[in-house]
Amino acid sequence: MPPKTLDQIMEGRRSQPNQLIEVLQDIQKTYGYISKEDMQSVSQELGVPVIEVYRVASFYKAFRLKPSGKHVLTLCMGTACYVRSARLLLDQATGQLGVKPREVTPGGLFSIEHVNCLGACALGPIVEENGTYHHHMTPGKLRTLIETLRRQKLEDKENVQA
Amino acid sequence: MQQYVNVSIDGAIIHAVKGTSVLDTAIEYGICIPHLCHVPHLSDIGACRLCIVEHLVDGRSNVTTSCTLNVQEGMMILTSTDKIRKFRRNLAELLVAQAPNSRAIQDIAVRCGVKEVRYPFRNEDCVLCGRCVRVCAEVWKANAKGFVGRGKERHVDYPFGIRPDFCKQCGSCIQLCPMTITPCDGPMKPGEERLCGNCESQLMLADQTPGSCIWCKLGESFACGRYA
Amino acid sequence: MSRLNSARELEHLREHLREKRKDITTTVMVCGGTGCQASRSRVLINAVKEELTRLGLEERVRLCATGCHGFCEQGPVVVIEPSNVFYCHVSPDDAFEIVYQTIMNGKLIDRLLYVDPTSGKKVRTQSEIPFYRAQDRQILSQNLMIDPCSIEDYIVAGGYSALVKVLNGVTPEQIIKEIKAAGLRGRGGGGFPTGRKWSECWEAPGDEKYVICNADEGDPGAYMDRCVLEGNPHLILEGMMIGAKAVGARKGYIYVRNEYPLAVEHSRIAIEQARELGLLGDNILGSSFSFDMDIARGGGAFVCGESTALMASVEGKVGEPRPKDVHTVVDGLYHKPTTLNNVETWANVPAIILKGSSWFASKGSQGSKGTKILALTGRIKNTGLVEVAMGMPINQVVFDIGGGGVNGKQIKAVQIGGPSGGCLPVEKFDLPVDFDVLAEAGSMVGSGGMVVMDEESCMVDVAKYFLTFLQDESCGKCLPCRVGVGRMLEIIGEITEGRGRLEQLDLLEELAETVSQTSLCGLGKTAPNPVLTTLRYFRPEYEAHIKEKKCPAGVCKALITYQIVPDRCNGCGVCLRACIHKAITGKKQKSHVINARLCQKCGICRSECKFDAIQVV
Repeated sequence: MPPKTLDQIMEGRRSQPNQLIEVLQDIQKTYGYISKEDMQSVSQELGVPVIEVYRVASFYKAFRLKPSGKHVLTLCMGTACYVRSARLLLDQATGQLGVKPREVTPGGLFSIEHVNCLGACALGPIVEENGTYHHHMTPGKLRTLIETLRRQKLEDKENVQA
Repeated sequence: MQQYVNVSIDGAIIHAVKGTSVLDTAIEYGICIPHLCHVPHLSDIGACRLCIVEHLVDGRSNVTTSCTLNVQEGMMILTSTDKIRKFRRNLAELLVAQAPNSRAIQDIAVRCGVKEVRYPFRNEDCVLCGRCVRVCAEVWKANAKGFVGRGKERHVDYPFGIRPDFCKQCGSCIQLCPMTITPCDGPMKPGEERLCGNCESQLMLADQTPGSCIWCKLGESFACGRYA
Repeated sequence: MSRLNSARELEHLREHLREKRKDITTTVMVCGGTGCQASRSRVLINAVKEELTRLGLEERVRLCATGCHGFCEQGPVVVIEPSNVFYCHVSPDDAFEIVYQTIMNGKLIDRLLYVDPTSGKKVRTQSEIPFYRAQDRQILSQNLMIDPCSIEDYIVAGGYSALVKVLNGVTPEQIIKEIKAAGLRGRGGGGFPTGRKWSECWEAPGDEKYVICNADEGDPGAYMDRCVLEGNPHLILEGMMIGAKAVGARKGYIYVRNEYPLAVEHSRIAIEQARELGLLGDNILGSSFSFDMDIARGGGAFVCGESTALMASVEGKVGEPRPKDVHTVVDGLYHKPTTLNNVETWANVPAIILKGSSWFASKGSQGSKGTKILALTGRIKNTGLVEVAMGMPINQVVFDIGGGGVNGKQIKAVQIGGPSGGCLPVEKFDLPVDFDVLAEAGSMVGSGGMVVMDEESCMVDVAKYFLTFLQDESCGKCLPCRVGVGRMLEIIGEITEGRGRLEQLDLLEELAETVSQTSLCGLGKTAPNPVLTTLRYFRPEYEAHIKEKKCPAGVCKALITYQIVPDRCNGCGVCLRACIHKAITGKKQKSHVINARLCQKCGICRSECKFDAIQVV
């Protein structure tokens, strides 16, 4: 389990500027994104200028500065996936959800990310969703996956109402 | 106590202060190496690449920036070979196509022998030389701005895009910015950017004696170390 | 387990563990690598475990969730020792049958056996499969026997013997001499002689030195480092300890991508286990050698594969490269002498120390010794990790091991070495996998990614893909890489849209040379390679885009249109539902039509059509 509060994340790392990336990784993992306030606290606790924290957070792709959707669809755009038509998947996802990569659908259910390699090249094209790798994806399979996730949301709602 | 080393720059044996860069040494001795991101007394990052030279090591020639290369005993440097001048011209062409609306950059392009620009002009207001960032961090220790984002998203910005309270608006960043000097004929209209070429006569002089400092007016605009 | 205070205690432990396992008659090895986990191997492992418990076989049968076996296409993969039976595409439902039939009664399950695609025959063991037969699996084979989360497995398999050997009075000079004699070259990219790097670092002044393992495998299409670190983390630890002893470092880091959560977890566990046994820490095995290590997680930046950027990142800073006028072996992490090698390089070290440099040097070609793991992917039948002696011709890798193209398509090119490498055409497939030969051909071995492309790939589009990748991944610090690559992309973009001019090809070449010669770091210096090699070997394709305004492979959207062949379309409606732009119309059972005005040319309809009724014109 990742630590819950910023205090717990900072534990044992205060005043150690070299821990900046590690701290941001943990914040990202816990909260799904890194807020401006968190960056300011991290800057103070580690003794790193706030511009440096902002630079690091904006430099690495692993960090998001805005909240992401509930379901993050990570499309692998590595070479191996690309030559197996991963571009179709990007067209499918953006077309079906109506948002561009790194954007969140209205209502916050989905967001699309594309990464440069997930390292499962032999099984490409790969789509990762909440830790699950979907391999040998086709636009059709992706459409079904998105529809299934959408329905889950609806069912959850009905369960709550019932 | 200051120590000295002997380096050969373009065949001239120079008695240089140990610990200084090849660029500083060359300028000091009147050898012209065009440069943009280098500012005396600030750290060098090697971002603009204009000050490239050939460094001969064991008969092999390495192309490297002279601002980041420190002088060493017995070093062999060539600042103005055909190869270097071609690369420098190509770099300056890329640079002026990004930001034609700066006299400093226009002058650098002329100094590096750019005669035509083969890319569509873009009218950007920053060439990411990082002079402002370094003066803010190194001279004033303010760290009020920095390079944010990466790749084509890279830009100079305040933290979260808002000017922080600890920026005292000293103006050093603006003073050092190469984009603040507009071309002699005034700013060019969007879509009508061109290579201005007003300083052609200066270039003729420079062409005859490549590599040697002619104390050109161009140098003044791009804040050559000899004018600093 | 308690701390080991001498080499003898380690040997005692090894004997004790072997003794404990002597009753085990059968070992079931289920691949738990990321590839097979995507194919639900976790569930399979649990199912097999349950069956073994239910039938009371835990004492005699050892279940081992191993790292990647390499043949990911066939996953999940199960190997049963000692009979060496090889099952592929195993589902969790097969667990009972595997335990009951094969393990208890020694019967084969026919439908789980691998079918040789050339002969059509079923194959019983791994060694009979063509994919494995031509390989020389020195590093990958170790993945097969070891549970990556168990230091016991590693010790039983003879692990940490090389460490014992170097702690036993061997001097740094002797280690370095051995590595130099072996001719080991860096497996991460440039192929720099490892021994020379170590000796320069050892000679560098200073008491504080570092060793780093680069596991930031950013090359898209390469995943051997993930596989080795994930599948056998102790091997990397041991290699690094030997390296640390050789250069005089007391501290090491494994820099691993955050996209590889399993690799992060396994190396973390391995480090903890090694600390517990006193294999890391002060006075390792009672010697005067002290060494400890930590993990640094990368944040998703390709440029951090560059040594100075990686070191900046380990320091918690932005991963921007800095000029390397003074090498990192002298001025590296925290400005201290630092030895940086990638995962595969470290993995080769223990075997060289144990078996000797001449054993290692006996494999491979003149200038490239040992074996190399290649990631064979793309439009090819057998995809996966392949380990071969260096110097093997590309032909043999692609056709003998890889089995040739898919769906009868002609193989056109292979992209070797990731974004810094180049595309080689089929006519060059007689070239060996060799650092110097490939570099001469404009490509590079690089990390060893081999992406096979067939007639459906447009080489101009491939060049555009890599430039887009590099533009995204460039740190943006220096002008040639940031602006130069952007301008190259601009030109190629015009070509793919049919607005290109022939003289732009010359400009492209000139620009490419400037970028490669003047960029600050390795990323920029090699960035033009994909463009240069495609221009060199596939110039007619560029010219077709420019002169005829045609994309021969039917990829570049601006130059193609999609049409439905009325004779083949039976009006099933799949394409109509699949089209996200609502560009397809037609009645049920009647031939459909694409509205060219609405069509965005994504090609989803074509990939979904089961009757091959949609054509690119």
